[in-house]
Amino acid sequence: MRERFRRLRVRGALTMTITEPTGTDPIGTAAFTTEPLSDDRLAQLVAALRPVLADDQILLAKTDRYNRARVPAPFPVHRWSERVPDVVVMPTSTEQVAAVVRVANELRIPVVPRDGGTGLTDGAVPHRRGIVVDVKKMNQIHELDLVNRTVTVGTGISMLKLNERLAQHGLFYPDDPASYPCSLVGGRIGTSGWSLIGSRYGHTRDLVLSFDHVLPTGEVLHVGDGIGQKISKSSSGYQLKHLFMGHQGTLGIATRATLKLFPKPEAELSPFWAFDNYDDAHACTGALARAGVATFAGAVLFDEHKVAYLRRDDEAYIPQPTDVRALVCAVMYGYEDEVRAGGRRLFRIAREHGARYLGDEISEGDWAARHDRYATPLHGRTKDGQVIPMSWHCEDAAVNFSNVPAVSRAWHEILADLRRKTDVFDDWGMFAYTSAATGVDYLTEIDVGIWEQRLDDAAWAAWVQAKRDIAAVALAHGGSMSACHGSCREGEVDLLPQELGKGFDVMLEVKRALDPNNVMNPGKYLLDRAYGRDTTDENR
Amino acid sequence: MTQVEPERTRDADALSQPFTPGAPSNPPELAAYPETLAGPVPPPRSDPKTAAFVEQWRNTSYNCYSSGHKFCREVCPVTQVERNESWTPTAFHANVVAMERGELDIADIAADYVNCTQCGACELRCPNTLFTGDFYRFRTRTVDVVKAVRSLAVESGVHQPSWQIWNERTDLRTHEPVLGETPVSQERVRDWAEGLDIPIGGETVLFVDCEAAFYRTSVPRAVAQMLQMAGYEFGLMGEQWCCGGPAAEMGYAEQAQRFARHNLDNWRATGTKRVLVLDPHDYISFTEDYPKYFGEEFDVEVVLVIEVLAQLLREGRLTPSVPVDRAITYHDPCRLNKRKGIWQEPRELLRAIPGLRFEDVDRVTQWSYCSGGGGGLPIEKPELTAKISAMRLERAAELDVDTLVSACPWSERPLSEAGDAEDIDVVDLHELFAQSLGITVGGSRGDVGDRRLAQERTGVPGRARRAHGSSRGGCGGGGCGGGGCGNGSGGCGCGGH
Repeated sequence: MRERFRRLRVRGALTMTITEPTGTDPIGTAAFTTEPLSDDRLAQLVAALRPVLADDQILLAKTDRYNRARVPAPFPVHRWSERVPDVVVMPTSTEQVAAVVRVANELRIPVVPRDGGTGLTDGAVPHRRGIVVDVKKMNQIHELDLVNRTVTVGTGISMLKLNERLAQHGLFYPDDPASYPCSLVGGRIGTSGWSLIGSRYGHTRDLVLSFDHVLPTGEVLHVGDGIGQKISKSSSGYQLKHLFMGHQGTLGIATRATLKLFPKPEAELSPFWAFDNYDDAHACTGALARAGVATFAGAVLFDEHKVAYLRRDDEAYIPQPTDVRALVCAVMYGYEDEVRAGGRRLFRIAREHGARYLGDEISEGDWAARHDRYATPLHGRTKDGQVIPMSWHCEDAAVNFSNVPAVSRAWHEILADLRRKTDVFDDWGMFAYTSAATGVDYLTEIDVGIWEQRLDDAAWAAWVQAKRDIAAVALAHGGSMSACHGSCREGEVDLLPQELGKGFDVMLEVKRALDPNNVMNPGKYLLDRAYGRDTTDENR
Repeated sequence: MTQVEPERTRDADALSQPFTPGAPSNPPELAAYPETLAGPVPPPRSDPKTAAFVEQWRNTSYNCYSSGHKFCREVCPVTQVERNESWTPTAFHANVVAMERGELDIADIAADYVNCTQCGACELRCPNTLFTGDFYRFRTRTVDVVKAVRSLAVESGVHQPSWQIWNERTDLRTHEPVLGETPVSQERVRDWAEGLDIPIGGETVLFVDCEAAFYRTSVPRAVAQMLQMAGYEFGLMGEQWCCGGPAAEMGYAEQAQRFARHNLDNWRATGTKRVLVLDPHDYISFTEDYPKYFGEEFDVEVVLVIEVLAQLLREGRLTPSVPVDRAITYHDPCRLNKRKGIWQEPRELLRAIPGLRFEDVDRVTQWSYCSGGGGGLPIEKPELTAKISAMRLERAAELDVDTLVSACPWSERPLSEAGDAEDIDVVDLHELFAQSLGITVGGSRGDVGDRRLAQERTGVPGRARRAHGSSRGGCGGGGCGGGGCGNGSGGCGCGGH
């Protein structure tokens, strides 16, 4: 492998075209280009896909490709055409996915997995075009094991739809991201998702027991703890499961997963409390998390900017008096008796921190609507109050409890700096969510409104710089650049080697070992460096 | 311990503190920062039709494009069965943004917009509607966007083959060709009413849509006889043409308006002030399209028959008394539930029917249900309609029921076909209510409906009654032949109605 790599690096340094595959016997890696495939290459690719897939599984129309170029993360709309894939395929089985990937690998054509396409980094964006493998048709429930409490599903199923089917058995699958109604199990694996109620039930990595995974060469791997289908803890061999989660599609495609199930909770308690200052709210959040209440599933801290944002319309907090400046909500799940007992303890803690309970109606309503209440384009504003349809985006980090206030202040200042120059960006405030039961670390996120229609190269560059600054703040405070989205977008990705240190070199080694031809979602996570190219500053 | 960099200090300004833009108490300097970064808006498209279209629908589309939540996806009937991201409400809006940018043209996108039943689920599920709707009087308008794209396509000469033929034949015959090769005609549009002695014209007329007038004739027969029973005066239209709604839905806007004009003129000619509507699709045409076409000139009152029946029930003018031995669930027609918010009255009627076992599924869960019969989908893509109907029946089959009750003739043909595969009858609410009033409805329930009714009369029991008959005190699911098992009137659980 080492020898081969060196050879490629020499070639890559000489000229780009040498690494371009030629004829039917390609050599080298996939090209480091964002140009569309030539007509000949496209015809060759489609001809190779025809024996593998039915005609209606191979999509070539412009709309099919344009609608798989983006995710809800900020997107340079003015450069949409540069991210359009050459072909979209919609396989229905692991075997079909594997066959498509083998074709891609043989032809050295980039292949990009796409699940829900709801990610907030750009894992599913085809930076080098090529083939988008859209797994949404693989949404079957293959096996429901009521005795061992597992379900085996195609990765194209959404958690919402899965839970609709599980409800009749009194079970649920508690992976609960903000995108719960539309994100898919496969995307949760590819991004190693974070769950809002993870403090009680664990996050995606804890909930996915094992899965079938197509490697960049088209080989199929079953990965879990050991080789078990339904084993939650094994000490056999390397712990590979985590490696194949959160790679943003750069190490392959999950196709079928076995998930851990829980009894659908009998009771939910979701109190919302108001505070007249941020510091008390922050202290209260920490105390709630540290209390060690077994039914505690999470707490969320709304900062002053978030409360100011919520006052933009009449449906959130305008009825609240002006001395409400920060909010905390907590949520507990379990049997009614244990939730009641735990709830009494949390209410006492909140009172001791100066909280005012907002009442049952707001508490139940706001929590029930948690997935879609807070960010809508209609809340976009210029500084002087003009309504602008804005794209919602949020930048996240993993930060220890003690550092949340400092990170928050620094992030808002970065946004204020942008707003001093322009109304293209708007500060929609911050949340901090408990990541774990003990309250050790928090998912902090700053929500940013972006006036996409007015993005151009200069505005986009300012945004990329802001992202880099936001990530740097998290690192400077001993945190990680991302608790849940991933950190492979322009801007923050530049800091990845700094965050991971020697670990980044290991990433390059792993990538090269598993994807010798750089066909699997190339151009992400600075992984081109594994093939002798540093493309950091290209295509910006 | 990690060394934390000292925080940056700068002179505080208006942006250093949290604020709510537009609040009267804000410092005036917030309006004084010069804009230094915003890029230009894209120049208008050169084709005038495209330019006008983009101008009209750009902001609507950005409201979706910029949201990116995609919560609409798993309630969209087409998306649920096809899983194709190009055929989602999100794509239908994103394409408009791409058109603004000159990336896509109408010819690129037109065919994708076939894949929509115009059920409106996506509009309800959209966070923009749910959480800013009341304050901004905002509703996501996917159905209007889809109609506008289809209309731009037709105006630009981009036709879908089956839609083109359908609308040509409708134009020729003044009714939709719902009987396939069997022609429909003006002469036969009142055939369903044979023997019912209904006058022509008058202050109130009953408008019967093409599917009910020619195919599922049991529905208008049930309606007419119930109204007669209650002494509610009404007539039939002098010369009824298709409402024009389907043409409007498929993009044939000029034809739709021409048909609407004819109907309005005809109502005028017979002194009609009120139109009774039994079909949810007509209800949309008359309450949304006609006022748009005619403005103030449209002064006709439009009344949904279900609401009339509910009123007659409340007033005691109709009292169902004949037990109906069925275990049912109700299918909320999309145009009633999702687009018009009408879901209470149908349930009120069903709960008044004696003998009925009603397993209800709430209206919000039903946002993601659809027959697939709307928006011209079965004309251009019948196989897709069939998949959507099959999915709806799968949900029904999870319940302990033998019958799915709908209230929309256009849904009943595809649902009946899918129901046959699950051994579930699909019955219209009006038919069922009339039955309970002791009315012998007559007419046709369509091919599948008539066949199943005939089978039932010869003693073949329905699905759940066969499976659960014994536990419900029935005759145990065997062929007693309908009424001979001695289990009391209508209680044997094996037909007889």
